[in-house]
Amino acid sequence: MTRTLSALALILTATPGLAQELNALVWCDHTDPALIEPFEQKFGVKVNLKEYEGTAAGLAILDQSQPGDWDVLVIDAVDVGRAVEAGHLAELPADQLPTADFFPELVMAENNTVDGKTYAVTEKFGYNTISYDKTKVDPADMEDMATLTSGKYDGRIGIYDYYLPVLGLVALGQGINTADITADNLGSLRDPLMALRAASKQVSDVVSAQTALATGEVDIVVGGGEWLTAVLAVETPNLDWTIPKQGGLRWAQSIGVVAGSTQPDLALEFVKYIVSPEGQARLATSSCYWGMPANAKAGDALTAEQKTVLRWDQQPEFLARAQLYPIPDAALDTAMQDLWTEMLAQ
Amino acid sequence: MSLQVRERRLGWGLLAPALIWTAAFFVLPFLGMVALSFAHMEGREVVRGFDPGNYTRIFTDPVMLGALWNSLEITAVVTVISVVLAYPLAAIIAFRVPARWQRLALLMAVLPFWTSYVVRSYAWLLVLGQNGVLNQALLGLGLLVEPLEIASTRAATVIGFVHFFVMLLTLTIYANLIQLSPNYARAAQDLGASRWQTFVHVILPLTLPGVVTGAFLTFVLCIGDYITPQILGGNTELTLPQLIMLQLGRSGNFPLASALSVVLMAVVTLAYFASSRWLRLDRV
Amino acid sequence: MRLLSRTYLTLAYVFIFLPVAVLVAFSFQDGRLPVPPFKGVTLDWYAKVLGNDDLVAALLNSLLVAIVSSLIALILGFLAAHALARVRLPGSALMRGVFIAPMTVSYLIIALGLLNLFTQAGIRPSLWTAGIGHVVINLPLCFAITYAAMGDHQRSAERAARDLGASEWRVLTLISAPMLAAPLAAAFFLSVTFSWDEFIIAFLLTRFDVTLPVEIWSMLKSGLSPATNAVGSLVFLVSVSLVILLELTVFRKRS
Repeated sequence: MTRTLSALALILTATPGLAQELNALVWCDHTDPALIEPFEQKFGVKVNLKEYEGTAAGLAILDQSQPGDWDVLVIDAVDVGRAVEAGHLAELPADQLPTADFFPELVMAENNTVDGKTYAVTEKFGYNTISYDKTKVDPADMEDMATLTSGKYDGRIGIYDYYLPVLGLVALGQGINTADITADNLGSLRDPLMALRAASKQVSDVVSAQTALATGEVDIVVGGGEWLTAVLAVETPNLDWTIPKQGGLRWAQSIGVVAGSTQPDLALEFVKYIVSPEGQARLATSSCYWGMPANAKAGDALTAEQKTVLRWDQQPEFLARAQLYPIPDAALDTAMQDLWTEMLAQ
Repeated sequence: MSLQVRERRLGWGLLAPALIWTAAFFVLPFLGMVALSFAHMEGREVVRGFDPGNYTRIFTDPVMLGALWNSLEITAVVTVISVVLAYPLAAIIAFRVPARWQRLALLMAVLPFWTSYVVRSYAWLLVLGQNGVLNQALLGLGLLVEPLEIASTRAATVIGFVHFFVMLLTLTIYANLIQLSPNYARAAQDLGASRWQTFVHVILPLTLPGVVTGAFLTFVLCIGDYITPQILGGNTELTLPQLIMLQLGRSGNFPLASALSVVLMAVVTLAYFASSRWLRLDRV
Repeated sequence: MRLLSRTYLTLAYVFIFLPVAVLVAFSFQDGRLPVPPFKGVTLDWYAKVLGNDDLVAALLNSLLVAIVSSLIALILGFLAAHALARVRLPGSALMRGVFIAPMTVSYLIIALGLLNLFTQAGIRPSLWTAGIGHVVINLPLCFAITYAAMGDHQRSAERAARDLGASEWRVLTLISAPMLAAPLAAAFFLSVTFSWDEFIIAFLLTRFDVTLPVEIWSMLKSGLSPATNAVGSLVFLVSVSLVILLELTVFRKRS
């Protein structure tokens, strides 16, 4: 027993520890070895990754950590301001970032910059709209959000379990822009949200939503988009997505260096790697979910097929029709989450 | 130094490590959680104090009460079904299967215990889905016209739970049954009792402590479980652990999560007192 | 066996083995989705899983945490059981209750309490903190099993050794422990099983190095794949081999 134990301990202590380590608090797409390994090899370091769900949880982790625990943070682009306000992000040297090569809409200076200082850079984006199986539903119906609650598709709808995009979509359905959601008009979203819930079969995270669509459990996923269907594109070509006439939501994630990092230079190198054309192409097609790269130069590193799945050529039109996530303050955020919890409990 | 004093000192010495461990990592965290449950959030700041607001909310907010009720209902249903299914299984293995095959029969009955817990729930998802194995088989056999809608319902959660607890209870009930001396049953039958009477009046009361202990463990493990309802329930309703994890994972609201946990703990304590007459936890 | 019993037994086994059979079958799926229709047999998913460093690391982490935490729980539980069974101490009934208590508490509560404690103490989540949690859940088990097994038979042997001048340490290691080998082994392996499979404590109390159930959970969250089936099948295969091996060696003697 002792021998087994010491052997185990040896294996465990021998693998890491040799190299410098970079600690990153990220979303699941960053955990793809195909994305991380080239960086690790180039710099001879080990990147430790921890996933989190939702900005509040991510900020809570940072609040509870000690300075120096984290080096890199991936965060919802619209929430960069919250992280800066809480003192969790360090300033980035704007002149070292390739934002000139970005899709102009994705520079998002109003989100990534506070008081003229850049704290984060957009890395990936996509849409929360409506994913569906085109062999099971009439694609024309999907152009109008109102058909979802018309009764025609009752029990065949799944809702993506994230409150911000879906509440944003419901707001668009009511003619309210995502930026205009307030504590006052949040109440008016309750009925349409509950109606959508009543018409749907399940509320599910990424995997259950993928499974449900691929197996025919549901035919429509509200809040879905290319990030949901692209991974399945080869196997199940009958899945599609669209932005209905009321509009859709654009999600975007940003990356930055955590304030208090003990190795800010290496952290910056990691950020620069992620937004380089090479890193961007790998991030766009990483195993957890696909999404458009913010850097347009990544197009050279992607194959024609990958670009088709990502709908590279249709981006100008999509970008024009999509709105950003709602950016709630703490009170509105709590109210939105409570409304969401109430919907889940229905 | 008298022998007794030396013995006592030795006794405390042997007890100390376990006592210190339990105090530091069980009692202290629990007290800390109770203290935290009376704090509240201002923005993202935890403000400590004595604010019963979290508890008022739990017992007035229909969402929270609903989750508590769902958890109680699911747990009660699961516990009853599991006992009803496991008892005959354990009895057949103990009394009908030839002695030399018994250990094998028992081992077979609990073998899937050793698949990873997370994976087991996921496997049920593959079985119960609309296009899952069960529906495909039943449709193929012509037993069904329309696929059953089980996945993403409470039924799926209950089936996943029952599967796990039937194994657990078969084990505890079997252990109880084989300890019974066959003389009891023989005596009862000599006195003219029918098989059924023997079972109801002799065997069942004698195995009650084992059944209650197993049922209590089922209750504790079931009501506190997050994985099974999260994977199989499709978020069609919330249970208490799911609500706790939502507070932790999405809102970062530790005080409310703590208060919900204290409520969960209180429910389990009530169950403990309700069944304590028959409980033999030190004999599991 | 009568027909009714036989039918019931068969149905019960079908129910018990259904998810495992489906899990294993679709781990060989030659396609991206582990759902019907079955598209043919491939071993690709196994190759993929065994080539995944994170999974292998998680597996080793799980083994380490399970073995170390079970050993600690066993030693603490054994010593405490020995003290309470042998020495008359004030409040011993209360103490038995305290040791058993964690068994009646949901793992989620233990995890949350420890998370608060460690956060306030400034201790970072790691395999160690998860291991501490696993000792907490396994200590009652080890205590209860060894306490229940301490009979008069051992008591006389221990007394004889003491009368012959053996120190308490020698009595414990040379008399009590060997005589209780079977229940100690049972408690140890049961603890290993619980720790090996435990999710919520490991999920909330680890950071970068995670245990296998947590790694499998993140696999599940990042996409439906026969690779998950392959991991599950491998875990099952390994655990079942161990169980059968133990059944044939350690536990055979007892029955």
